[in-house]
Amino acid sequence: MRLRPAIRIGLVIVSTMTIVWIATVALFYSSTSASARNNRPLPAEVAALVALLEQASPAERSLVLRAVTSRSMTVRLEPGNQVGETPKLQRVPRMTERAVEQYLAVMGGRPSSVTLRPEPTGLGKLGLTFSTPIDLELRVRLASGDTLIIDTLRYPVTNLLGLPVGFVAGLTGAVLGLVALFALKRQVAFNELQVRLSQLVRARIAMIGGISHDVRTFLTRLRLRVDRIPDSQERDRAIADIADMIRLLDDALLASRSGAGDLAEELIEFAQVVQAEVDDRYRVGKAVDLRITDAAARTTAILGNRLALRRVISNLVDNALIYGKAAHLSIDSDGQSVTLLVDDEGPGIPRDQREQIMEPFVRLEDSRNRRTGGAGLGLAVARSLVEAQDGTISIADAPSGGARLAVRLPLFVAR
Amino acid sequence: MIDAHAATAATILIVEDDAVIRQLVGEVLRNEGFSVAEAEGATQMNAILARTQPQLVILDVMLPGEDGLSICRRLHAHERCSILMLSAKAEEIDRVAGLETGADDYLVKPFGPRELIARVRALLRRGPRIQAPPTRRFSVATLKVDLDARLVVDQQNAPVALTSAEFDLFACFIERPRRVLTRDQIGKFTRGRVPDPLDRSIDMIVSRLRRKLDRANPGASLISTVRNGGYLLTALVTPTS
Repeated sequence: MRLRPAIRIGLVIVSTMTIVWIATVALFYSSTSASARNNRPLPAEVAALVALLEQASPAERSLVLRAVTSRSMTVRLEPGNQVGETPKLQRVPRMTERAVEQYLAVMGGRPSSVTLRPEPTGLGKLGLTFSTPIDLELRVRLASGDTLIIDTLRYPVTNLLGLPVGFVAGLTGAVLGLVALFALKRQVAFNELQVRLSQLVRARIAMIGGISHDVRTFLTRLRLRVDRIPDSQERDRAIADIADMIRLLDDALLASRSGAGDLAEELIEFAQVVQAEVDDRYRVGKAVDLRITDAAARTTAILGNRLALRRVISNLVDNALIYGKAAHLSIDSDGQSVTLLVDDEGPGIPRDQREQIMEPFVRLEDSRNRRTGGAGLGLAVARSLVEAQDGTISIADAPSGGARLAVRLPLFVAR
Repeated sequence: MIDAHAATAATILIVEDDAVIRQLVGEVLRNEGFSVAEAEGATQMNAILARTQPQLVILDVMLPGEDGLSICRRLHAHERCSILMLSAKAEEIDRVAGLETGADDYLVKPFGPRELIARVRALLRRGPRIQAPPTRRFSVATLKVDLDARLVVDQQNAPVALTSAEFDLFACFIERPRRVLTRDQIGKFTRGRVPDPLDRSIDMIVSRLRRKLDRANPGASLISTVRNGGYLLTALVTPTS
C-alpha cells in the first residue's frame, strides 16, 4: 500500500505517542499505590514522640501510639532494652545516610539504633537504588525502660527493577521519541531516494527517446536512398533490416517507459484490439484465428495503453506464426480478469527453458538464422509491458502440442 | 528555390529541419514532376507562403522553433492546402493530435519513396479537407452537454448546476473520454499549469463534480478513480447535433 509522505509521517508520530501514553497509563495503574510517597517521619517528629511517650502515663501511651501510627509508619513499645547496634552503612544513598545520622542526633543521648530493612533487592543489590525509598527501623530506649520501635513502611513506588515508575516512563518516551525521529529521517531519506530514482528513470527515458529520434532520422535518410539499389532482392532485404531496427528501437523505448510507469492509460475493449491485430494478419494470408468463448469477454474493458497492448499481442502472434506455423487465439473472461491464449503448432517450449526465454536477448533457436529474424526481445518486451499493466504472462503446453502463451490482465473496476 | 519549369504540376512545400531528408524527399518529388519548395523551419516557410501558394505542405512534427503541430494549426486555419505530416513517433496519441490540428494525412518515419508518392498523389486528388466546424455538443450517459453554451442538462432537460471550475473539469474529461488523466494533466488542461504536489483542490472539485453528476445521472458513476492518483471518465461520449 502506498501512502502519501505527510500521512506516513503523521502515522509515525501518532502511533509513537499513543504507545508511550498507553505504556505510562498501564504502568501507573498496575502499581496500585503509585501515588504514595515515602513518608518517612521527620527527626523532630520522632524526638517529640519520644518526649511525649516519656511524659505520658501508661494508659495514655497506647493512645499516643494509636494516634501516631499511620499507613507509612507503625509505632510500638516493647518492654526491656531492645536496642541493638547500628550497623555500618554500606551502599546506601547519601540521603538515607544523612537521615540515619539525623535520627541518631535527635535522641538526646538515649540508646538508639537504626537498621535498614529489608535488605535491598533487585538492582538495589548493585547499589543502583539511588532513588528507591528504604525502610528504616528506629529503636530508642525510653527513660521509662521500654523500647520504642518505629517502622517506616515502604510503598512500592518502584517497578520490579527497583527503578521509579516516572523514570521508566520518561526513559521509554525518550527512547521511543528517538526511534520515531529515526523512522522519520528514514522516511524523508526514502522520499528523497524515490524522487532521485524517478528523475534518473526519466532522464534515461529522455535519453532513449532522443537516441530513438536521431536514429530514426538517419534511418529515414537510409530508407529514402535504399530504393536506388538496383537489385530488388537486396533492396527488399535492406528495407526489412531498416524495419527491424525501427521495431527494436520502439520496443526499447516502450519497455523502458512501461517500466517507469510512464505509459498513458485508457479504457480499452480488449477483444477489439486483439480482433484488429488478428484481422490485419488474416488479410495477408497468415494462419491466424480468434475464438471468443463467452459474450461477456467480447466487451470487457481493461485499463491499459493501447500501443503497448498491440505490441504484446503482435509479438505473441508473430512469434507463434514464425516458430509455430499458426496462431490460434482465444479470449476468456472470469469476471476479475481477461485471459488471452495464443497457441501454436510448433514443437513447443521445453519446461526448463520457459522462465529463461522471457529474458531479453534469449532465443530458443541455436542457429540464430536470419530467416526468423529478431533479437530475442519479443517476449521480454511483452512481459515487461504486461506486468506494467498489472498483468501476468506465462508459458504452457497447447492441447495440440505446441506452445501456449497466456496473458492475463485485470478487468477495469469502476470505483 | 522553386522549380519553375513544371508550371502545370502541383507545388509542394517541404518543411523539415533535417537537410538530407529535405533534399531526398525533394528529389523524389521532383522526379515525379512536382514543383518543390523547401523550408527548414517556420520562418522560411512563411517567406515562401508569401510568394506562392502550394497545394500541399509536407510538414515535420519535430521542428526547432515553432513546432509542427502549431504550424499545422495555423496552416489549416489560414491556407487552402493539404497537409501531410511526417512524424518520428509511431505513437497513436501523436497521430490523433496531428489529425485534430488539421493534418490531412500522416506518414511515420522512416518511409519509402513509393509510399510517400502514393500519399502525395492521393492527397492532391482529394484536395484539402473541408472540415465542418467541429460539433461541441455531446451526450454522456443520460446527460447532454454543450461545451460552447457551457450547459449540462439531464434526461428531463433540466439544467445541472455546475460551477465554472466544475464545468471546466467536466469539459476536460469529455474531450478526453476513457483516458486516465493524472492530477498534473488535469491541472495543465484546466488551468494551464501543473498543480503543487500538496494541492488537493483538483481532488475536491472532482469529488464535488462527481456528486453532482451522480445526482443528475443516477446509477453508474461517470468518473472513476484510478490507482496512483488519476481519474477517468468511464462513459462513452458521443457527439450530437
